[in-house]
Amino acid sequence: MSEDKTQQAVAVKQNIDYCSSCAVCSTLCPYEALKKDAETGKITLDVTKCQVCGLCYANCPARVIDTLYYDLDSLLNYLEQAKKEYASDTLTIMCRGSAPDIDGVSKLFGTPKFIPLLVPCVGRIPDEVYLKALLMGINKINVLACDVDYCRFERGSAVTGRKIIALNLLLDQLGYRRDTITLKRNSLKVKVDANLCIACGNCVFFCPYNAAELKSPGGITFDLDACRGCGLCVAMCPATALELENWEQERISQLISRFSSEMKSPKILTFRCQWASFPPLNGEPAPNIRFIDLPCASRVDRFHILEAFQKGVDGVMVAACSEDDCKQERASGKAQHSVATLSDRLEQIGFKERLHFCSVSPRYPEELDRELEQFSQKIKGLGKGG
Amino acid sequence: MIVTTQKPLDEVLGFIAPYTSVLIAGCDGCTQPPRGLREAKTLSQLLELAGRIQKKSFNFKVTTVAKQCDNYLAASILKPQMEGVSAVLSLACGIGVQTLAEVFPELPIFPAQNTHFMGAEEREAGILEERCAGCGDCLLAVTGGICPVARCSKGLLSGACGGSKEGKCELSPDRDCAWCLIYEQLKKQNKLHLLKESRPPRDYQLSGWRVTT
Repeated sequence: MSEDKTQQAVAVKQNIDYCSSCAVCSTLCPYEALKKDAETGKITLDVTKCQVCGLCYANCPARVIDTLYYDLDSLLNYLEQAKKEYASDTLTIMCRGSAPDIDGVSKLFGTPKFIPLLVPCVGRIPDEVYLKALLMGINKINVLACDVDYCRFERGSAVTGRKIIALNLLLDQLGYRRDTITLKRNSLKVKVDANLCIACGNCVFFCPYNAAELKSPGGITFDLDACRGCGLCVAMCPATALELENWEQERISQLISRFSSEMKSPKILTFRCQWASFPPLNGEPAPNIRFIDLPCASRVDRFHILEAFQKGVDGVMVAACSEDDCKQERASGKAQHSVATLSDRLEQIGFKERLHFCSVSPRYPEELDRELEQFSQKIKGLGKGG
Repeated sequence: MIVTTQKPLDEVLGFIAPYTSVLIAGCDGCTQPPRGLREAKTLSQLLELAGRIQKKSFNFKVTTVAKQCDNYLAASILKPQMEGVSAVLSLACGIGVQTLAEVFPELPIFPAQNTHFMGAEEREAGILEERCAGCGDCLLAVTGGICPVARCSKGLLSGACGGSKEGKCELSPDRDCAWCLIYEQLKKQNKLHLLKESRPPRDYQLSGWRVTT
């Protein structure tokens, strides 16, 4: 596998010729993928450690880093188009980890209409995007980051906080309002329906962060400071008493219904960990493929996989991070196990081949496409599902 | 907890094939792995998909009972949901299935599980093992909290047999020798003298078949 990967396209590159070895990137990199070589003083990039947070890209003073995702050009192109489409002069930049649905974001900032820009980590937005957005006629920029301690990329939220203070000071000097850019922080957490809870304690066992506590008497309580919103407990709750904010059962069910009716055959629905692969800002996926992004693959629910088949989807794929890349506490391994368990039961009714689990990484952007291509071919061969 | 495993879907489908309106009743009681609302719903989805292949469509109702083995609870929770139901698929252990059969004598009640034993789960490994045989004469006070009736393959009461090898049972190299475990446990507690006490043969009548509350 590893030899294989050296031949692949990678999402982050370093143009070493322009590098002045200032080490801003290696100081910011949460994963030690960028390091200053002790002997030569040069900065080296170890792509196998990179999680594609984009902090280095957004903050390199010499533009040494190239990235395939959300680079300056594609961000600005998106803004130009979205400004027309949404007819608003407010831009809201949201991290995937903390953004509830559009209504929720509207409420958080008190702005009914806005241009949405959803990215994995707001820390990857270069300063130019803020400034060029203002030049385009945008008057107000809202930024929604994860709470600092819950940032999946460790430093993205904190770095953004500092960046926004500096930008607002600069804008103030240029005659803009001092609150032109507003930062809010949010984290999405578990919710318990006490009426459904059977006090079985499954969540206590599965929670990777010891956020769940079962008292007898007293029932279940969650320490929301400890909860990191992976959704594993939700998928494992035998009583369906738990929900994860923004990824409620019902909301995902509605997405499945909508996608299955608009997809062309062979219909492939992919439940994707939102950190395992990043969607492009523009462009639709192939007509037979739709994605439902999850906070972590461990949120993938048996219900939803089966529901997809019931609603006429021909193949379901679960795309997770590898265990080493998992932004949660090895939750992708739990996801794999739970898909395998369901797969055993699907085998009994002839659906096993229609469910596929794979682990991919945004650092190799072709990985997911390749998995999808192979799986689509296989499903095409199998013909229509149920 | 009562340990159950899922019956093959074909077998379950065979049970319910003559019926259209089927109630799938989960149990939130002691079945392990849990067979509550989630499992009931999952089973309804799997059976619907399986039914489609056989050109058979069902009308499933999905519900759960706190303890299916409690006839009072089962009646009060399920009776109001029984209108139009022609068969019940129970996710409870064999006790729950029989309770439903008593509460609803006019309806066919089918088990969706095979019931194995009273046991405990090693959660990290996901392995469930028998722990109690319901003998009616609990010996755990003198065996270091390890039951030889349930955990020794031969149910011996007075120490290991000649088949104990390196802590494992001669019947299966995966299975711990219960008497080895008891010995190690008592040694830790400085209670090895308990092993020297002779014990009368087990009184099988104590297990019984009925007690009153």
